[in-house]
Amino acid sequence: MSAGFLLIHARPNRAWSLVLSWFLFAAGIGAYLWVANARHRENPEDRVTPTVAQMVTGMYNAVMQPAEEDEVVEGEHGFWYKLSHSMLWKDTRASSRRFFYALVLLIPAVILGLHMGLFPYVGEFFLRFVLFFDKIVALSLLPILFIAFGIDELSKIMLIVIGVTPTIILDSFNLTRGVPAEQVVKAFTLGAGDFDVAYRVVLRQIAPRVLNSIRLNLKAVMLFLFAGEMIASTDGLAYRIALLRRHMGMDLIIPYVLWVALLLFLVDYAMRTVNRKLHPWFEEA
Amino acid sequence: MSLIRIEDVFVAYGSPRRAVLGGINLEIAEGCFVCLLGQTGCGKSTLLRLVLGSERPMRGRILIDGEEHRQPDSTRGYVPQKYSLFPDKTVLDNITFGPEVSEFGLFGRLTPAFFRRRRQLRDEAYRYLQRIGLRESDAGKFPHQLSGGMQQRVAIAQALIKRPRILLMDEAFSALDSGTRREMQALVRELWRSTGTTILFVTHNIDEALRLGTRVVVLAREAPDLGSRVALDLDVPDPCGEDAIAGLVHRLERVSYPASAGDMVEVG
Repeated sequence: MSAGFLLIHARPNRAWSLVLSWFLFAAGIGAYLWVANARHRENPEDRVTPTVAQMVTGMYNAVMQPAEEDEVVEGEHGFWYKLSHSMLWKDTRASSRRFFYALVLLIPAVILGLHMGLFPYVGEFFLRFVLFFDKIVALSLLPILFIAFGIDELSKIMLIVIGVTPTIILDSFNLTRGVPAEQVVKAFTLGAGDFDVAYRVVLRQIAPRVLNSIRLNLKAVMLFLFAGEMIASTDGLAYRIALLRRHMGMDLIIPYVLWVALLLFLVDYAMRTVNRKLHPWFEEA
Repeated sequence: MSLIRIEDVFVAYGSPRRAVLGGINLEIAEGCFVCLLGQTGCGKSTLLRLVLGSERPMRGRILIDGEEHRQPDSTRGYVPQKYSLFPDKTVLDNITFGPEVSEFGLFGRLTPAFFRRRRQLRDEAYRYLQRIGLRESDAGKFPHQLSGGMQQRVAIAQALIKRPRILLMDEAFSALDSGTRREMQALVRELWRSTGTTILFVTHNIDEALRLGTRVVVLAREAPDLGSRVALDLDVPDPCGEDAIAGLVHRLERVSYPASAGDMVEVG
């Protein structure tokens, strides 16, 4: 290890790569455990920094026992029964349902962006308004949504849609305009009609980039979902976290946060894999 | 009556307006192989795009077989310099795209007739693959796996399978190395002879224009602020002998770069 290891020409070997990339994880976990143990030695009733054991217990309860607002499950039941009636499952299911409804509603946004990019009249009609709408901070609309749609599912899903749709529309609009003009002209010379060009030439070409764009916007979808849930909901992962905050349930909040991160990672990974399998010709991964 | 009539077209771009084409008049008979020649920026690609229909002249009009066509359609095939193939489709699908999309609409693709016809089209596509010098193993490849020369071959097959009356090629070989270029020139010449398509070929390479075309049209500006006009329009002997080429190259260079020559030579 010469003095050159911080320079641009440096080439870390595998051992260094491994150590360096896991270091911050280890340091973070180590620091946390050290602080938790110190606090617990002083005050065994400490609730701010739960020990690993407490977190594991809390999570086990979340997975095996129903939520506090539900009835207690009587009698002996199998593992799967307890799991499917547990708090974690109920919250995960509620949040996931809203998440996937919102994702499905993003598909019309992609189609609109495509048409805006290809058909000049459609573009003129929508572009200015979409650009304006993009600037509205969706969260500031939340009270209006609650008044208009009530505090039920619809307003939460509308919040996600209003927050993320303009970005998706503009993304697919730009991707459509990025398709080389030669491709469109070539398609016409081969006898394609307008809708053939839109769906069999342009949409097919931009599809992997559109999927990537949606994937990158998953974080925004989750953000709006959680904002809606925390403010006005009776179930869902963010609702549970907000509830736990009120009685300082850090032993459950931290595992929940990690669980959400894991779910998001899995969805992202699934989308990446699906994209690769559907579009083997797309080299930019 | 000639297949393509270009009547006094005038095109200008940009702000402030700069004239690109300043009054072009051409008539092209069916079955010709016309090469459009000129230095960069002389408007030869613009003229090709006018015939193609992807651009409109500010003045004048273009008649294809007596009719004005205001947008690209299947009467004129097109081979651009780049982006000629659809990246999301295999080589075979690229070639069969034209007939498939023009014969079957969205719901037509669900009928059994489609599958029968598709098999016929794929057989025809395999025959085209052979003609352009590719192998059967190349049929399942995607365009990004092919070299530039192979991509252009497929692009030519893709256009010709529709049997257009006119084929427009815009600097189609300019991005290829000289060895590949020679092969492609031979291929196009041979395809032209067997199909009898009228070809309009844009190039800045004088040698290529002479080897390929039966007629060479040179565009050049008389002055930097004027649009290009037809500087020279000559018929090339077919085949063009090597000695004749040298003489013609010299003559064309004088015309293509009038700043060094001074005068313009009229139709000869």
